[in-house]
Amino acid sequence: MGNSDVELIAHLMRRAGFGATRDQLDFYAAQGYEATAEELLNPVDERRMGDDLIRRFHPELSGMMGPNASGENWLFRMATTTTPLQEKMSLFWHGIFATGYPKVIHGKALSDQIRMFRRHGMGSFRTLLVELSKDPAMIIWLDNQDNHKGAINENYGRELLELFSMGVGNYTEQDIKECARSFTGWTIANREYMELRSQRDSDWPYGRIAWHFEYHPEDHDDGEKEFLGQRGCFNGEDVIDIICQQQATARFISRHMYSFFVANEPPVPEWPDTPPLDEQAIQQLSQAYLDSGYDITAMLRVLFNADFFKSRSSWYTKVKSPVELVAGVLRLTGEFDRPRREILDRQLQAVYMGQFLNNPPSVEGWHEGTDWLDTGSLVERVNFATQQMGDANKPGVQAMISNVAANAVGPISPERLVGECLDQMGAMSVSEDSRRVLIDFASMGGDVALGAGNSDEQSRRQIGAVLQMVASTQEFQRS
Amino acid sequence: MGRDLDSRDLPDNARGIMTTIETGARTKFLEYVMTLGMTTMEGRGFYYPVDTAIGRDDRLYVVNRSLDIVPRGVRVTMCDIDSEYYGTFGSFGEKDGQFIWPSGGAIDSRGRVYVSDEQLHRISVFDREGAFVSRWGSHGTGEGELDTPSGIAFDNQDNLFVSDTYNHRIQKFTADGRFLLSFGSQGHGDGELNLPWGVTLDANNNVYVANWGNDCILKFSPQGEYLASYGTSGSGDGEFQRPSSVAVDGEGYIYVADWGNERVQVLDPEGGFAMKLRGQATLSKWAENFLSVNVEEGAARARANLELEIDYSVIHPHEESSHIEKFFWSPVSVKLDRAGTLYVTESNRHRIQVYKRIAS
Amino acid sequence: MTSVNKDRSLVVIELVGGNDALNTVIPYNNGLYYNFRPTIGIPQEEVLALDQELGLNPNLAPFKTLWNQGRLAIINGIGYDNPNRSHFRSRDVWYTAEPEKISAEGWLGSVIRDLDPAGENVLTGVNFGRGLPRALVCKGVPVASVGNLETYGLMPDLQDEMTRRIALDAFSRMYGPTPGKDAVAQVLGQAGTDALKGADILRTAPQLYSSDVEYADNPIAQTLKNVAQVMCAGLGTRVYYARHASFDTHSNELLAHAKLWQDVSTAISDFTADLTEHGLEKDAVILVFSEFGRRIQDNGAGCDHGSGGVAFVIGEPVNGGFYGEFPSLREEDQLDGDLHFNNDFRSTYSTILNKWLGLDPDPIVNGQFEQFDFISS
Repeated sequence: MGNSDVELIAHLMRRAGFGATRDQLDFYAAQGYEATAEELLNPVDERRMGDDLIRRFHPELSGMMGPNASGENWLFRMATTTTPLQEKMSLFWHGIFATGYPKVIHGKALSDQIRMFRRHGMGSFRTLLVELSKDPAMIIWLDNQDNHKGAINENYGRELLELFSMGVGNYTEQDIKECARSFTGWTIANREYMELRSQRDSDWPYGRIAWHFEYHPEDHDDGEKEFLGQRGCFNGEDVIDIICQQQATARFISRHMYSFFVANEPPVPEWPDTPPLDEQAIQQLSQAYLDSGYDITAMLRVLFNADFFKSRSSWYTKVKSPVELVAGVLRLTGEFDRPRREILDRQLQAVYMGQFLNNPPSVEGWHEGTDWLDTGSLVERVNFATQQMGDANKPGVQAMISNVAANAVGPISPERLVGECLDQMGAMSVSEDSRRVLIDFASMGGDVALGAGNSDEQSRRQIGAVLQMVASTQEFQRS
Repeated sequence: MGRDLDSRDLPDNARGIMTTIETGARTKFLEYVMTLGMTTMEGRGFYYPVDTAIGRDDRLYVVNRSLDIVPRGVRVTMCDIDSEYYGTFGSFGEKDGQFIWPSGGAIDSRGRVYVSDEQLHRISVFDREGAFVSRWGSHGTGEGELDTPSGIAFDNQDNLFVSDTYNHRIQKFTADGRFLLSFGSQGHGDGELNLPWGVTLDANNNVYVANWGNDCILKFSPQGEYLASYGTSGSGDGEFQRPSSVAVDGEGYIYVADWGNERVQVLDPEGGFAMKLRGQATLSKWAENFLSVNVEEGAARARANLELEIDYSVIHPHEESSHIEKFFWSPVSVKLDRAGTLYVTESNRHRIQVYKRIAS
Repeated sequence: MTSVNKDRSLVVIELVGGNDALNTVIPYNNGLYYNFRPTIGIPQEEVLALDQELGLNPNLAPFKTLWNQGRLAIINGIGYDNPNRSHFRSRDVWYTAEPEKISAEGWLGSVIRDLDPAGENVLTGVNFGRGLPRALVCKGVPVASVGNLETYGLMPDLQDEMTRRIALDAFSRMYGPTPGKDAVAQVLGQAGTDALKGADILRTAPQLYSSDVEYADNPIAQTLKNVAQVMCAGLGTRVYYARHASFDTHSNELLAHAKLWQDVSTAISDFTADLTEHGLEKDAVILVFSEFGRRIQDNGAGCDHGSGGVAFVIGEPVNGGFYGEFPSLREEDQLDGDLHFNNDFRSTYSTILNKWLGLDPDPIVNGQFEQFDFISS
């Protein structure tokens, strides 16, 4: 198996997951790129740190009264799962259907929404939209509990069209009203008490009470509606059927997917006036959406096997989001082999870098790409990556150092040392500039002599220092 | 049995059977009395309580784990069955009298309060009023060393049995921490332990262990010989999911916090299924006080239906308990006072449900 | 002493968790106060009287001195329409000056942008603490978040000075000017270069500073000492942000609230003394706020989330006194059991923005609000 194949699979794992260790890459490389992509697309044998174990040592991660618990729980999962695309897709949908804590004030409801993404996020887009419309956190987030027969609240109806499916310019204000009418009566149970508890941030007396969807037929406007040119006594499901048929929806979702997995598109508000980076790619993905009956996995299959994704020119073009960076580091360090208090700090690190899971800045989600980067956030990102990768007590770091040491006997040159370290960090490739700086840095310690008795400790330190420096490269900030 | 706890979890809906709501008692001999406590970050109230120790004067010492971002919630709350509040002691930290991850509580014959700490791998000792007395224990795998001590219980000689969780064994110490005995080893077989949690002793000093990772209760002799195992994995009668705590009364009835099934089960002295409880909490005195001050919340609550029939998208007792407030949610500890009254501490509901024996 | 920045600056201190306004500024001659607060009422004889009706909680003793000096403005009854009693939402309202809808832009972020439109100084805004409160968030506006001034910068965990220098040298080469590189590399390069620059400047601040003021050993005191250090270093910083927690006194209020205010009021008083020592007292105004007040009726151990709060504006340039109205405690005047607010917090923001910082307040606070006289323009 050539190294270029390993590098390609490393690219796949960075984009479709949260990166992979060199050992994992060897495993994937043995089965080949296409089989690896298929394995990601068909998450069956999920293995990760079990919920029971998490709940036992972190009761808050099942009680979820505070704003961090749902994110911590999710981060545990991202850091340990064997089905990373499932988590990546949940993150993808979370970025689009961005629902946030400050209005919902209910960690379990937000966590349940992510769980819903996990179950439906790789299936039919129609099912996903129906589940989204019934999702209690979404209902409260966009005020659908205030959307009544005869007194509509347009918030959900508008965002469903503008931000969740079609994008502006593809419907009228009247369509928004008709859409909102179709979702009247879609509310949550015990709405008054639950809403009041949220508004008062009340977990008294006995902690949060989970929410669930309730349909109130008497509050549903079942009169005739005209929506996107079709007429009928539509309910929410009917409206979603019509939305899913639209070419605009196909393109909107395709463009999001391209932006998330291939290369950052400009922010959504600019889409109507800015052509996609790769029109052909959007057409390919849209076709897959329509041909498959709105199947997300079918779209992803096309994407991962397309040249526009696999091409070397698309590698390292994206800025890792804070959560991708943190989860990626945690998978390399192997820190969470059991529940540990440090999960809170790791969650907060992503917050310091500007991404608070289940607490996006608004319903428009996070601004991705270079918007992640400013002086403050870069300091946090570099410090976190170098601190973690520089900690030789972490099992994953230990293993990397040992692997570098084991791959050579006798002295190895700085060039070779840098090459080995890049390889251990997940078959990384870096620019010539970065490589030169790394080699200069590695040269400061002279050749590393391996297997030479008492110099072992010194060699391990030298290897560790280079690994840490690799973590400070621009490439490590990118995916 | 035998699934790999550290890396594998069942799909959300694979467990199938929902716990039935009625008690389904074959021998009904427990009846609900009242609920104690409510959630508060500090002071009077509980915050993710993980155990309750009961003093000889029936004072309750409730060990609060809190959550990692709220260090001030870490404390032991002192109160009693009449909802009298006697203050708190302990705080977050590594100094004497402080905790990071407090876990189990137990009380010796002199009324001193012992609290284990899963992060600091030690036992801290306080007097009856909560003044710090001493601490012992160190981290490791050797004899007398601890890795994540959770459940603790005294025998009638004032020796302390410690559930040494990540060493998958039980260790016996004198009250001042001198190592006496260690037993149990990691595995899924008969008499083997897998992340043990709660521990208790019967009148004859036999040791009962909530063998959390293996879904059963193990019984050992005072010398640590394996005697019996109760229950298998499942959600049927007499089956357990991740039992967290066990108590044994004077007649030999075994009370189990069936944590993963969000219920309490009672086994007869032979180990047969006797009854189960799903929880029927009502408002505690402290909760009533809260709702009387926060009037509109009390009014909205009174108008809400908190016992709805729900069409769950995920079928699991944990899910059900998150929706129906009166049910046990993370029943983490079962303890008996001298009269045989049962105290069930629920970490996710920040309260204690009290049940008493019906005179037979 | 190095050259001192004569530009006016604003120090914002957030009391996180919802400060109990009614136990901060106390209507000590009002029987209703004592009726509603059987458990946590502050005894009349302990209150530090400011006039016939109102007095300070005795744990704010240093504020009494500031009051006597005419440097303490107390804004009673501060809040906003349809008050939200959730920490998170109400905080966002104060952060974004937008009570109606969810907004992503912070008011102080906009202030920093308006003060330094070209982004010439990476230190125009400095936040003390990790992670940026939304108050300081504004697209394209860099704000340094300083956890610890002494160790601020890149790769602080490298203990050995030599090792760290070598590593930072390598970093500066990797993130140096990158002509002809892609857009991502350019942004990374710029941010990396700015980060090194900002850190180098900030780390000099403690070395340049000396003072006779001895700050206490608690987080807010140490933070305000850091603020004084940066201010004395004359780095051109105009907006400072600090937070102190947690004022969420549902229980154990008497003890907890006392300690919180002893720490905060002493730290602020020490800070103003420090500014005076360095001749900077005319340059800084301090705003102290909290996301909401608390219930009028106590709950037997503390009190729960309410509305209608109190804010303070402090400093030599401030016209001390009472502003706003002290809300009535009568049941018919209450708002769902809470103090009824009578002045929008954006009036206070607008006053500071207009009269102190010389900015047009309306676009920043999303509307036009009547201004107070606690600062003379």
